[in-house]
Amino acid sequence: MIKKLILIPLLGVILILFMIAMTDLESIYNNAGKVFFSSNAYLDTGSLNAVTAIYLDYRLFDSLFEAAILLIAVAGIMWISQHKIKEKNASFMLDKYKTPDLFITFSRLLYPIMLTFGIYVIVNGHLSPGGGFQGGAIVATAILILYYIDISKTIDVKLIITIEKILFLILLFVASLSFFTRDGLLFTNFIGSDFTQIKAIFLMLLNIIIGLKVALGLVSIFTAFLKEGR
Amino acid sequence: MNEWLPLALQILLIFIAITIVLHKRNFTIIILISAFSLVAATLYTLNNAPDVAIAEVAIGSAIIPLIYIISISRQREFIILDKTHTGFIAPDEKLEGIVYDVLDKFVKANHLKLNICCDIEGDEEDLTSELNVDLVLSVDPKTKKFVIKGKESSLLVGKLSKMVEKYDMIEVIAFEESDLYD
Repeated sequence: MIKKLILIPLLGVILILFMIAMTDLESIYNNAGKVFFSSNAYLDTGSLNAVTAIYLDYRLFDSLFEAAILLIAVAGIMWISQHKIKEKNASFMLDKYKTPDLFITFSRLLYPIMLTFGIYVIVNGHLSPGGGFQGGAIVATAILILYYIDISKTIDVKLIITIEKILFLILLFVASLSFFTRDGLLFTNFIGSDFTQIKAIFLMLLNIIIGLKVALGLVSIFTAFLKEGR
Repeated sequence: MNEWLPLALQILLIFIAITIVLHKRNFTIIILISAFSLVAATLYTLNNAPDVAIAEVAIGSAIIPLIYIISISRQREFIILDKTHTGFIAPDEKLEGIVYDVLDKFVKANHLKLNICCDIEGDEEDLTSELNVDLVLSVDPKTKKFVIKGKESSLLVGKLSKMVEKYDMIEVIAFEESDLYD
Protein backbone atom coordinates (compact mmCIF):
# COMPACT_ATOMS: atom_id res chain seq x y z
CA MET A 1 0.00 0.00 0.00
CA ILE A 2 2.80 2.43 0.94
CA LYS A 3 4.65 1.53 -2.26
CA LYS A 4 1.58 2.39 -4.33
CA LEU A 5 1.16 5.70 -2.49
CA ILE A 6 4.80 6.61 -3.21
CA LEU A 7 4.26 5.71 -6.84
CA ILE A 8 1.56 8.37 -7.36
CA PRO A 9 3.75 11.47 -6.54
CA LEU A 10 6.60 9.91 -8.55
CA LEU A 11 4.35 9.63 -11.60
CA GLY A 12 3.23 13.22 -10.99
CA VAL A 13 6.83 14.45 -10.97
CA ILE A 14 7.55 12.57 -14.23
CA LEU A 15 4.43 14.12 -15.82
CA ILE A 16 5.50 17.66 -14.81
CA LEU A 17 9.03 17.10 -16.17
CA PHE A 18 7.58 15.74 -19.41
CA MET A 19 5.33 18.79 -19.80
CA ILE A 20 8.25 21.17 -19.18
CA ALA A 21 10.28 19.35 -21.83
CA MET A 22 7.39 19.48 -24.30
CA THR A 23 6.93 23.27 -24.11
CA ASP A 24 9.98 23.77 -26.29
CA LEU A 25 8.76 21.64 -29.18
CA GLU A 26 9.80 24.17 -31.82
CA SER A 27 13.51 23.59 -31.16
CA ILE A 28 13.14 19.80 -31.43
CA TYR A 29 10.78 19.42 -34.39
CA ASN A 30 12.01 21.88 -36.98
CA ASN A 31 13.04 21.19 -40.56
CA ALA A 32 16.66 22.38 -40.25
CA GLY A 33 17.99 18.85 -40.78
CA LYS A 34 15.72 18.29 -43.78
CA VAL A 35 16.90 21.53 -45.42
CA PHE A 36 20.55 20.71 -44.71
CA PHE A 37 20.42 17.17 -46.13
CA SER A 38 18.35 18.04 -49.19
CA SER A 39 20.77 20.83 -50.17
CA ASN A 40 24.12 19.28 -49.16
CA ALA A 41 23.75 15.48 -49.27
CA TYR A 42 24.55 15.00 -52.97
CA LEU A 43 27.48 17.41 -53.02
CA ASP A 44 29.02 16.00 -49.85
CA THR A 45 28.60 12.29 -50.51
CA GLY A 46 27.55 11.72 -54.13
CA SER A 47 24.40 9.89 -53.10
CA LEU A 48 20.93 10.81 -54.41
CA ASN A 49 19.32 8.90 -51.56
CA ALA A 50 19.77 11.01 -48.43
CA VAL A 51 19.31 8.01 -46.12
CA THR A 52 22.27 6.23 -47.74
CA ALA A 53 24.21 9.49 -47.53
CA ILE A 54 23.68 9.51 -43.77
CA TYR A 55 24.40 5.87 -42.95
CA LEU A 56 27.33 5.40 -45.32
CA ASP A 57 29.03 8.76 -44.99
CA TYR A 58 27.96 11.18 -42.26
CA ARG A 59 27.34 8.43 -39.69
CA LEU A 60 29.48 5.57 -41.04
CA PHE A 61 30.92 4.97 -37.56
CA ASP A 62 27.44 4.00 -36.28
CA SER A 63 26.84 1.67 -39.23
CA LEU A 64 30.03 -0.25 -38.44
CA PHE A 65 28.70 -1.07 -34.98
CA GLU A 66 25.34 -2.01 -36.49
CA ALA A 67 27.18 -4.53 -38.68
CA ALA A 68 29.05 -5.79 -35.60
CA ILE A 69 25.76 -6.34 -33.73
CA LEU A 70 24.54 -8.80 -36.39
CA LEU A 71 27.88 -10.63 -36.29
CA ILE A 72 27.64 -10.96 -32.49
CA ALA A 73 24.02 -12.16 -32.72
CA VAL A 74 24.97 -14.85 -35.25
CA ALA A 75 27.92 -15.93 -33.12
CA GLY A 76 25.66 -16.19 -30.06
CA ILE A 77 23.08 -18.33 -31.87
CA MET A 78 25.81 -20.62 -33.19
CA TRP A 79 27.26 -20.97 -29.69
CA ILE A 80 23.90 -21.91 -28.17
CA SER A 81 23.05 -24.45 -30.87
CA GLN A 82 26.33 -26.35 -30.82
CA HIS A 83 26.45 -29.88 -29.42
CA LYS A 84 28.99 -32.65 -29.10
CA ILE A 85 27.04 -35.68 -30.36
CA LYS A 86 27.91 -37.09 -33.75
CA GLU A 87 24.90 -37.51 -36.02
CA LYS A 88 26.38 -38.69 -39.25
CA ASN A 89 23.69 -40.97 -40.57
CA ALA A 90 20.75 -39.53 -38.64
CA SER A 91 17.57 -39.81 -40.65
CA PHE A 92 14.23 -38.45 -39.48
CA MET A 93 10.93 -39.83 -40.68
CA LEU A 94 9.08 -36.51 -40.99
CA ASP A 95 11.90 -34.87 -42.98
CA LYS A 96 11.38 -37.28 -45.83
CA TYR A 97 7.78 -36.25 -46.52
CA LYS A 98 7.65 -34.70 -49.93
CA THR A 99 6.71 -31.02 -50.30
CA PRO A 100 3.61 -30.50 -52.51
CA ASP A 101 4.44 -30.22 -56.22
CA LEU A 102 2.59 -26.91 -56.67
CA PHE A 103 4.66 -25.38 -53.89
CA ILE A 104 7.92 -26.58 -55.43
CA THR A 105 6.97 -25.18 -58.84
CA PHE A 106 6.07 -21.77 -57.43
CA SER A 107 9.25 -21.71 -55.36
CA ARG A 108 11.31 -22.40 -58.47
CA LEU A 109 9.55 -19.55 -60.29
CA LEU A 110 9.93 -17.15 -57.37
CA TYR A 111 13.56 -17.92 -56.50
CA PRO A 112 15.37 -16.17 -59.41
CA ILE A 113 13.02 -13.17 -59.28
CA MET A 114 13.62 -12.63 -55.57
CA LEU A 115 17.37 -13.08 -55.95
CA THR A 116 17.51 -10.53 -58.78
CA PHE A 117 15.36 -8.05 -56.84
CA GLY A 118 17.59 -8.40 -53.78
CA ILE A 119 20.73 -7.75 -55.81
CA TYR A 120 19.02 -4.77 -57.47
CA VAL A 121 18.14 -3.29 -54.07
CA ILE A 122 21.74 -3.76 -52.87
CA VAL A 123 23.48 -2.29 -55.92
CA ASN A 124 21.07 0.63 -56.37
CA GLY A 125 21.19 1.56 -52.69
CA HIS A 126 22.52 5.06 -53.40
CA LEU A 127 19.98 5.86 -56.12
CA SER A 128 16.69 4.35 -54.95
CA PRO A 129 15.19 3.30 -51.60
CA GLY A 130 16.99 0.31 -50.15
CA GLY A 131 20.55 -0.54 -49.35
CA GLY A 132 22.78 -3.25 -48.03
CA PHE A 133 20.70 -4.38 -45.07
CA GLN A 134 17.33 -4.51 -46.85
CA GLY A 135 18.75 -6.15 -49.97
CA GLY A 136 20.68 -8.66 -47.87
CA ALA A 137 17.49 -9.64 -46.04
CA ILE A 138 15.69 -10.18 -49.38
CA VAL A 139 18.57 -12.31 -50.72
CA ALA A 140 18.55 -14.38 -47.51
CA THR A 141 14.80 -15.01 -47.86
CA ALA A 142 15.37 -16.07 -51.48
CA ILE A 143 18.05 -18.54 -50.42
CA LEU A 144 15.70 -19.90 -47.75
CA ILE A 145 13.24 -20.86 -50.51
CA LEU A 146 15.81 -23.47 -51.60
CA TYR A 147 15.11 -25.32 -48.34
CA TYR A 148 11.45 -25.58 -49.29
CA ILE A 149 12.36 -27.13 -52.62
CA ASP A 150 14.62 -29.72 -51.00
CA ILE A 151 14.83 -30.02 -47.20
CA SER A 152 17.80 -32.38 -47.24
CA LYS A 153 20.00 -29.67 -48.72
CA THR A 154 22.98 -28.95 -46.52
CA ILE A 155 25.02 -25.77 -46.24
CA ASP A 156 28.42 -25.64 -44.59
CA VAL A 157 27.67 -23.23 -41.75
CA LYS A 158 31.27 -22.95 -40.56
CA LEU A 159 32.42 -21.78 -43.99
CA ILE A 160 29.61 -19.21 -44.15
CA ILE A 161 30.51 -17.74 -40.76
CA THR A 162 34.20 -17.59 -41.67
CA ILE A 163 33.33 -15.66 -44.85
CA GLU A 164 31.11 -13.33 -42.79
CA LYS A 165 33.93 -12.57 -40.34
CA ILE A 166 36.34 -11.84 -43.19
CA LEU A 167 33.74 -9.56 -44.81
CA PHE A 168 33.41 -7.62 -41.56
CA LEU A 169 37.18 -7.07 -41.47
CA ILE A 170 37.09 -5.94 -45.13
CA LEU A 171 34.28 -3.55 -44.20
CA LEU A 172 36.37 -2.04 -41.40
CA PHE A 173 39.35 -1.74 -43.77
CA VAL A 174 37.39 -0.02 -46.56
CA ALA A 175 35.71 2.33 -44.08
CA SER A 176 39.04 3.42 -42.60
CA LEU A 177 40.80 3.85 -45.99
CA SER A 178 39.99 7.57 -45.89
CA PHE A 179 42.54 7.95 -43.08
CA PHE A 180 45.31 7.51 -45.67
CA THR A 181 43.79 9.22 -48.71
CA ARG A 182 42.20 12.23 -47.01
CA ASP A 183 44.76 13.28 -44.40
CA GLY A 184 43.54 11.69 -41.21
CA LEU A 185 39.77 11.94 -41.76
CA LEU A 186 38.44 8.65 -40.32
CA PHE A 187 35.30 6.87 -41.53
CA THR A 188 34.20 8.85 -44.55
CA ASN A 189 34.45 8.47 -48.31
CA PHE A 190 38.02 7.75 -49.39
CA ILE A 191 37.53 9.67 -52.66
CA GLY A 192 38.34 13.34 -52.19
CA SER A 193 35.77 16.13 -52.24
CA ASP A 194 36.72 17.24 -55.78
CA PHE A 195 35.24 14.16 -57.46
CA THR A 196 31.52 14.16 -56.63
CA GLN A 197 30.65 12.17 -59.78
CA ILE A 198 32.63 9.04 -58.88
CA LYS A 199 31.98 9.07 -55.15
CA ALA A 200 29.19 6.52 -55.70
CA ILE A 201 31.87 3.83 -56.19
CA PHE A 202 32.56 3.88 -52.44
CA LEU A 203 28.84 3.72 -51.60
CA MET A 204 28.26 0.78 -53.96
CA LEU A 205 31.29 -1.06 -52.58
CA LEU A 206 30.13 -0.67 -48.98
CA ASN A 207 26.53 -1.59 -49.89
CA ILE A 208 27.67 -4.79 -51.60
CA ILE A 209 29.87 -5.78 -48.63
CA ILE A 210 27.10 -5.07 -46.10
CA GLY A 211 24.52 -6.87 -48.29
CA LEU A 212 26.67 -10.01 -48.56
CA LYS A 213 27.41 -9.95 -44.84
CA VAL A 214 23.73 -9.60 -43.84
CA ALA A 215 22.62 -12.29 -46.32
CA LEU A 216 25.21 -14.79 -45.08
CA GLY A 217 24.43 -13.99 -41.44
CA LEU A 218 20.69 -14.49 -41.86
CA VAL A 219 21.20 -17.71 -43.86
CA SER A 220 23.36 -19.11 -41.07
CA ILE A 221 20.68 -18.16 -38.47
CA PHE A 222 18.04 -19.97 -40.55
CA THR A 223 20.27 -23.00 -40.91
CA ALA A 224 20.84 -23.10 -37.16
CA PHE A 225 17.08 -22.98 -36.54
CA LEU A 226 16.33 -25.66 -39.15
CA LYS A 227 19.06 -28.03 -38.03
CA GLU A 228 18.53 -27.48 -34.29
CA GLY A 229 18.39 -30.89 -32.64
CA ARG A 230 18.87 -32.61 -35.96
CA MET B 1 -7.93 9.81 -50.26
CA ASN B 2 -4.76 10.82 -48.47
CA GLU B 3 -6.67 12.12 -45.46
CA TRP B 4 -8.62 9.02 -44.47
CA LEU B 5 -6.24 6.26 -45.60
CA PRO B 6 -3.58 6.73 -42.85
CA LEU B 7 -6.33 7.04 -40.24
CA ALA B 8 -8.02 3.82 -41.40
CA LEU B 9 -4.67 1.97 -41.45
CA GLN B 10 -3.83 3.14 -37.94
CA ILE B 11 -7.20 1.91 -36.63
CA LEU B 12 -6.57 -1.41 -38.44
CA LEU B 13 -3.16 -1.65 -36.74
CA ILE B 14 -4.76 -1.28 -33.31
CA PHE B 15 -7.31 -4.00 -34.11
CA ILE B 16 -4.61 -6.38 -35.39
CA ALA B 17 -2.48 -5.75 -32.29
CA ILE B 18 -5.41 -6.52 -29.93
CA THR B 19 -6.21 -9.67 -31.91
CA ILE B 20 -2.60 -10.86 -31.68
CA VAL B 21 -2.71 -10.53 -27.90
CA LEU B 22 -6.08 -12.25 -27.47
CA HIS B 23 -5.82 -15.04 -30.06
CA LYS B 24 -5.13 -18.61 -28.99
CA ARG B 25 -3.85 -20.43 -32.09
CA ASN B 26 -0.15 -19.96 -32.80
CA PHE B 27 -0.15 -20.17 -36.59
CA THR B 28 -2.94 -17.60 -36.92
CA ILE B 29 -0.92 -15.27 -34.68
CA ILE B 30 2.08 -15.58 -37.00
CA ILE B 31 -0.03 -14.62 -40.03
CA LEU B 32 -1.39 -11.65 -38.06
CA ILE B 33 2.13 -10.50 -37.14
CA SER B 34 2.99 -10.64 -40.83
CA ALA B 35 -0.13 -8.59 -41.69
CA PHE B 36 0.77 -6.07 -38.97
CA SER B 37 4.17 -5.53 -40.60
CA LEU B 38 2.62 -5.05 -44.04
CA VAL B 39 0.18 -2.42 -42.75
CA ALA B 40 3.00 -0.67 -40.87
CA ALA B 41 5.12 -0.68 -44.04
CA THR B 42 2.25 0.94 -45.96
CA LEU B 43 2.08 3.66 -43.31
CA TYR B 44 5.82 4.27 -43.58
CA THR B 45 5.51 4.64 -47.35
CA LEU B 46 2.66 7.14 -46.93
CA ASN B 47 4.92 9.12 -44.57
CA ASN B 48 7.71 9.31 -47.20
CA ALA B 49 10.01 6.71 -45.64
CA PRO B 50 10.42 4.02 -48.32
CA ASP B 51 13.78 2.81 -46.92
CA VAL B 52 12.24 1.93 -43.59
CA ALA B 53 9.28 0.35 -45.38
CA ILE B 54 11.52 -2.04 -47.36
CA ALA B 55 13.34 -3.06 -44.17
CA GLU B 56 10.01 -3.60 -42.39
CA VAL B 57 8.63 -5.79 -45.20
CA ALA B 58 11.80 -7.87 -45.47
CA ILE B 59 12.35 -8.38 -41.73
CA GLY B 60 8.88 -8.12 -40.22
CA SER B 61 6.75 -9.94 -42.74
CA ALA B 62 9.20 -12.49 -44.17
CA ILE B 63 12.05 -13.42 -41.85
CA ILE B 64 10.46 -13.21 -38.38
CA PRO B 65 7.32 -15.23 -39.33
CA LEU B 66 9.54 -17.87 -40.98
CA ILE B 67 11.67 -18.24 -37.85
CA TYR B 68 8.51 -18.48 -35.71
CA ILE B 69 6.99 -21.09 -38.03
CA ILE B 70 10.14 -23.22 -37.93
CA SER B 71 10.39 -23.11 -34.14
CA ILE B 72 6.68 -23.68 -33.47
CA SER B 73 6.42 -26.61 -35.89
CA ARG B 74 9.42 -28.15 -34.10
CA GLN B 75 7.50 -28.01 -30.80
CA ARG B 76 4.69 -30.15 -32.24
CA GLU B 77 7.00 -33.05 -33.05
CA PHE B 78 7.48 -35.96 -30.67
CA ILE B 79 10.87 -37.39 -31.56
CA ILE B 80 11.67 -41.00 -30.74
CA LEU B 81 15.09 -42.53 -31.27
CA ASP B 82 14.52 -46.12 -32.34
CA LYS B 83 17.41 -48.41 -31.44
CA THR B 84 15.54 -51.64 -32.32
CA HIS B 85 15.09 -50.69 -35.94
CA THR B 86 18.18 -50.61 -38.10
CA GLY B 87 18.23 -48.50 -41.21
CA PHE B 88 16.00 -45.75 -42.49
CA ILE B 89 12.23 -45.66 -41.86
CA ALA B 90 10.34 -44.43 -44.91
CA PRO B 91 7.37 -42.14 -44.27
CA ASP B 92 4.95 -44.52 -46.07
CA GLU B 93 6.21 -47.57 -44.21
CA LYS B 94 3.64 -49.03 -41.86
CA LEU B 95 5.13 -49.62 -38.44
CA GLU B 96 3.55 -52.58 -36.71
CA GLY B 97 3.82 -54.04 -33.25
CA ILE B 98 2.47 -53.24 -29.83
CA VAL B 99 5.00 -50.47 -29.14
CA TYR B 100 4.16 -48.51 -32.23
CA ASP B 101 0.41 -48.88 -31.64
CA VAL B 102 0.79 -47.57 -28.09
CA LEU B 103 3.01 -44.69 -29.16
CA ASP B 104 0.68 -43.79 -32.01
CA LYS B 105 -2.32 -43.71 -29.65
CA PHE B 106 -0.36 -41.65 -27.11
CA VAL B 107 0.81 -39.11 -29.68
CA LYS B 108 -2.67 -38.68 -31.13
CA ALA B 109 -4.14 -38.13 -27.66
CA ASN B 110 -1.69 -35.26 -27.09
CA HIS B 111 -2.12 -33.62 -30.53
CA LEU B 112 1.49 -34.16 -31.56
CA LYS B 113 3.21 -35.62 -34.59
CA LEU B 114 5.28 -38.78 -34.32
CA ASN B 115 8.78 -38.48 -35.72
CA ILE B 116 11.05 -41.49 -35.57
CA CYS B 117 14.78 -41.34 -36.17
CA CYS B 118 17.51 -43.98 -36.27
CA ASP B 119 21.27 -44.30 -36.37
CA ILE B 120 22.35 -41.75 -33.77
CA GLU B 121 24.83 -43.10 -31.28
CA GLY B 122 25.40 -41.83 -27.78
CA ASP B 123 24.29 -41.85 -24.17
CA GLU B 124 20.58 -41.52 -23.42
CA GLU B 125 21.22 -38.53 -21.19
CA ASP B 126 23.30 -36.69 -23.79
CA LEU B 127 20.78 -37.44 -26.51
CA THR B 128 17.83 -36.01 -24.61
CA SER B 129 19.68 -32.95 -23.35
CA GLU B 130 21.64 -31.99 -26.45
CA LEU B 131 19.40 -33.10 -29.29
CA ASN B 132 15.70 -32.71 -28.66
CA VAL B 133 15.01 -36.44 -28.69
CA ASP B 134 12.06 -37.11 -26.36
CA LEU B 135 12.23 -40.87 -25.93
CA VAL B 136 14.77 -43.61 -26.59
CA LEU B 137 13.31 -47.01 -27.53
CA SER B 138 15.34 -50.23 -27.15
CA VAL B 139 14.96 -53.94 -26.39
CA ASP B 140 16.23 -55.58 -23.22
CA PRO B 141 18.32 -58.57 -24.42
CA LYS B 142 17.53 -60.77 -21.36
CA THR B 143 13.80 -60.37 -20.83
CA LYS B 144 12.88 -59.39 -24.42
CA LYS B 145 10.89 -56.47 -23.10
CA PHE B 146 10.65 -53.15 -24.89
CA VAL B 147 12.32 -50.42 -22.82
CA ILE B 148 11.40 -46.76 -23.29
CA LYS B 149 13.64 -44.21 -21.62
CA GLY B 150 12.83 -40.55 -21.12
CA LYS B 151 13.57 -37.55 -18.96
CA GLU B 152 11.96 -37.53 -15.52
CA SER B 153 11.18 -33.82 -15.77
CA SER B 154 9.08 -34.25 -18.92
CA LEU B 155 5.31 -34.30 -18.28
CA LEU B 156 4.73 -36.52 -21.30
CA VAL B 157 6.93 -39.28 -19.91
CA GLY B 158 4.78 -39.36 -16.76
CA LYS B 159 1.62 -39.61 -18.84
CA LEU B 160 3.12 -42.36 -20.97
CA SER B 161 4.17 -44.47 -17.97
CA LYS B 162 0.59 -44.33 -16.64
CA MET B 163 -0.79 -45.37 -20.02
CA VAL B 164 1.66 -48.25 -20.41
CA GLU B 165 0.91 -49.89 -17.02
CA LYS B 166 -1.53 -52.41 -18.47
CA TYR B 167 0.90 -53.74 -21.09
CA ASP B 168 3.53 -56.07 -19.61
CA MET B 169 5.65 -56.10 -22.78
CA ILE B 170 6.61 -52.46 -22.33
CA GLU B 171 8.53 -50.76 -19.58
CA VAL B 172 9.07 -47.02 -19.11
CA ILE B 173 12.19 -45.82 -17.32
CA ALA B 174 12.47 -42.18 -16.29
CA PHE B 175 15.96 -40.99 -15.46
CA GLU B 176 17.02 -37.86 -13.65
CA GLU B 177 18.87 -35.15 -15.47
CA SER B 178 22.24 -33.90 -14.35
CA ASP B 179 22.83 -30.18 -13.97
CA LEU B 180 23.40 -28.19 -17.09
CA TYR B 181 26.33 -25.84 -17.36
CA ASP B 182 24.80 -22.72 -18.81
